[in-house]
Amino acid sequence: MITKIKIHGYRIYRDFTLEPNRKLNLIAGANESGKSTLIEAIALALTGRINGRSASEELNPYWFNTELVSTFVDKCAANQHPTWPEIRIELFLENRYELQQLCGAINSDIPTNACPGISMGILPDPDYATEREEWAKDASPLLPVEYYKVDWRSFADQVITNRPRQLATAIIDSRTVRSSSGVDYHLRHILDDGLMPAERAAISVAYRKVKAQMSESALKTVNERISKENASLHNQPIALAMDQSTRTSWEGAVTPHVSSVPFSMSGQGQQAAIKISLAMSRHSESAAFVMIEEPENHLTHTSLTILLSRVESLAGEKQQLFIATHSSFVINRLGLDGLHLVGSGASRPLSTLEPDTVSYFQKLPGYDTLRMVLADKVVLVEGPSDEIVFERIFRDRYGKRPMELGIDVLSIRGISFARCLELCSALDKTVAAVRDNDGVPHGVLREPLKKWLALGKRELFIGAVEGGQTLEPQLIHANDETKLRTILGVTDKADLSKWMSREKTETALRIAQAGPGITPPKYLLDAAEFIHG
Amino acid sequence: MANSVMLAVAGSRKTQGIIEQCSSLPPDRRALVLTYTQTNQAELRDRFAKYAGEHARVSIIGWFAFLLRDFARPFLPFKFPGERVMGFNFEGRPYRMAKGRSRFLDSDGAVYACELGRLAHELIDASQGALMHRIECIYDEIFIDEIQDLSSHDWEILDDLLDSAIDIYMVGDIRQAVLSTNPRSRKNKRYAYADAVHWFREREKQGKLKIIENFETWRCHPKIAEFSDQIFDSSWSFPKTKSANRTVTGHDGVFLLRRAHVDEYVARFDPQCLRDSANSAKDFDLDFLNFRLAKGMTCERVLIAPTSGIKKFLQDSVYLTPVPASKFYVAVTRAAQSVAIIIDEPGNSPLPYWIP
Repeated sequence: MITKIKIHGYRIYRDFTLEPNRKLNLIAGANESGKSTLIEAIALALTGRINGRSASEELNPYWFNTELVSTFVDKCAANQHPTWPEIRIELFLENRYELQQLCGAINSDIPTNACPGISMGILPDPDYATEREEWAKDASPLLPVEYYKVDWRSFADQVITNRPRQLATAIIDSRTVRSSSGVDYHLRHILDDGLMPAERAAISVAYRKVKAQMSESALKTVNERISKENASLHNQPIALAMDQSTRTSWEGAVTPHVSSVPFSMSGQGQQAAIKISLAMSRHSESAAFVMIEEPENHLTHTSLTILLSRVESLAGEKQQLFIATHSSFVINRLGLDGLHLVGSGASRPLSTLEPDTVSYFQKLPGYDTLRMVLADKVVLVEGPSDEIVFERIFRDRYGKRPMELGIDVLSIRGISFARCLELCSALDKTVAAVRDNDGVPHGVLREPLKKWLALGKRELFIGAVEGGQTLEPQLIHANDETKLRTILGVTDKADLSKWMSREKTETALRIAQAGPGITPPKYLLDAAEFIHG
Repeated sequence: MANSVMLAVAGSRKTQGIIEQCSSLPPDRRALVLTYTQTNQAELRDRFAKYAGEHARVSIIGWFAFLLRDFARPFLPFKFPGERVMGFNFEGRPYRMAKGRSRFLDSDGAVYACELGRLAHELIDASQGALMHRIECIYDEIFIDEIQDLSSHDWEILDDLLDSAIDIYMVGDIRQAVLSTNPRSRKNKRYAYADAVHWFREREKQGKLKIIENFETWRCHPKIAEFSDQIFDSSWSFPKTKSANRTVTGHDGVFLLRRAHVDEYVARFDPQCLRDSANSAKDFDLDFLNFRLAKGMTCERVLIAPTSGIKKFLQDSVYLTPVPASKFYVAVTRAAQSVAIIIDEPGNSPLPYWIP
């Protein structure tokens, strides 16, 4: 189990530390926030490979953190002889018996810390010191990676050449490559890890036998004919035989089939599902680390539901999952407590959530929690009409839509304010919670939410009791009736209050589209001013 | 307690014992075999391959390699935070008064071979248990060949290993202790060279290990064995060597040889000629090998050019000090059938002269 991930100088991550959860890690973030990079970095340190190719083959200038590189280039230009940018990905592992071979103090922790672990470094190669010096005279942001070396070693300071067996890793990405053998590199690994050594050997032996039989049966008659007709150079006989070299081992011919359809012929969704099932099968040698990138891709809602319940049921005690996702559904379903939010090269873990809040959202997986997670600031309102009216009030006050300022206005639609506020508090979000008074005194409404509120950070805004129980009476109370009738296009014949209560959404939409603005009820304006800050 | 040390005499098939024990281990036991000299490692690997074939869980490495791989490299930062072992400096030495980092590491960050034992030993405590815990998790058994060659801080590391959960099995011939991992170190002077036997006896009294003595030689003729026993005085309480060599050639045993007869002797018997060092026996034009280089060899016959100490020992029964005694012992016990020592004055020696 990985207890800590440290990344220095790799792509978006300048200096990054993440302490993953024991079992489930959901990595969420906006586009370009570094979700995939994080998964990639973990996989690189665990397997020494990236997309199935070795680190040294794949190494390119874009791996280096641009900030570090530009500082370096500037210093080069100023003749300051700066130290060369480096990449270091360190995985600290649990101090377990079977991992002791990897144990040592060769890591960046201060004070000195001995634990099992591996580190992947991309370091300046001392053999090319003079070439680098020459290059630095005319430095450019594209570092000369030819003068770098890949340095993969354990915390015991021993160079690693092959991925340690204890660190079996399954990587499931949705970018399925249809290779000629029908099985891509990652699946090949998953298959390999999924079989017991004895099973692998048995398959190999049987496959050899089958090939030998081919040579002795069908090919035999062919060979008899050829031998009479043809002669090669030097008159040695030509014969056809099954290739028994390792190049043509069983791995190239054996592929998973689903309902008799070969893996490579099934849909991408199905392929992802097969990989997950294979990678997470429960036996002693199954993968210790499973990484899944955006499982929601290529899957319909129903398939995704099935897939997630499979992930859930297969996840063993000793497996650590890393899932990068864009989907609230995936997050809610697998458990909000596993969430890590990444962005601008840093990550924020979710502080502890009450277990019943986690299961609350698991039961309501359709709720768009990710919006709450990704927004800079959140306004929680009761329903769609509150949302629309608030947006208009905000725009009138500040000349911009809330979204343009990173403020997301969310209807909670019946989800409890308390649960939403708890989640926001765990995410340390700035929140304005706006609710109706429903004829109940403020103190009573405030009491159950008090725990999650914080002055200046998360505040509750409730319409004054004398202004009416819900949004509509509050609007009437705050505005001149004639003006409101004009905005809403409601004639004197209709009872304004009744019309508004009946046509809530229509009311909100007409207010949103009207030329002149309304006078906002005080609690809504307060909320807008608070959230604008 | 399964720790044991086999103290054996020359030619008693000690190394074979390690190989047999190793290959009879259950397949799930992970064993480490440690030796001091390079030739020893090569020979062990060779013999192990022949005898037991591939055994994935047995690894054979040198003592220094062990201290580097499992002590210094992983745990150096516990003494010098942020530092790494960048190499191994076999020849170099720190300045005599060097302190801290420069005591152990040269300017390139390479560890001095002569200080590696001390560094490794200090890291055991500095790592707050992590180091020993790691070794206990990686190995079930550790075999150490030629135990008598370890010195100074190595003995303290050995003490920690004896206290660990690992089963330690050592073999050695205290009487053959002519090499040392750090000849200049003052530490553990009391255990140096042949004094090592006392170290084992102390540990046996504390119940930390069992001493098994094997004093049957397959190599040396009974008369050579008997003579080799006399090289050390009785206070060492070495057991008497028994010989299993029953070969009779007509010239068997230990003989004195006058200078005048040397040429004829060499012509007749073609012995392996041995001397203490390049500085000794300069007045003979023979194809000599130094005592310490002869270690591990078996020869049909040897001819020894004695040092003045050896002469005194023969003529006046004055015992040699431990180091020269060990060297002389190595020289004598190379021979299977005969040992001849060049000396003109016999003194009190009861040994017979060979006369053409």
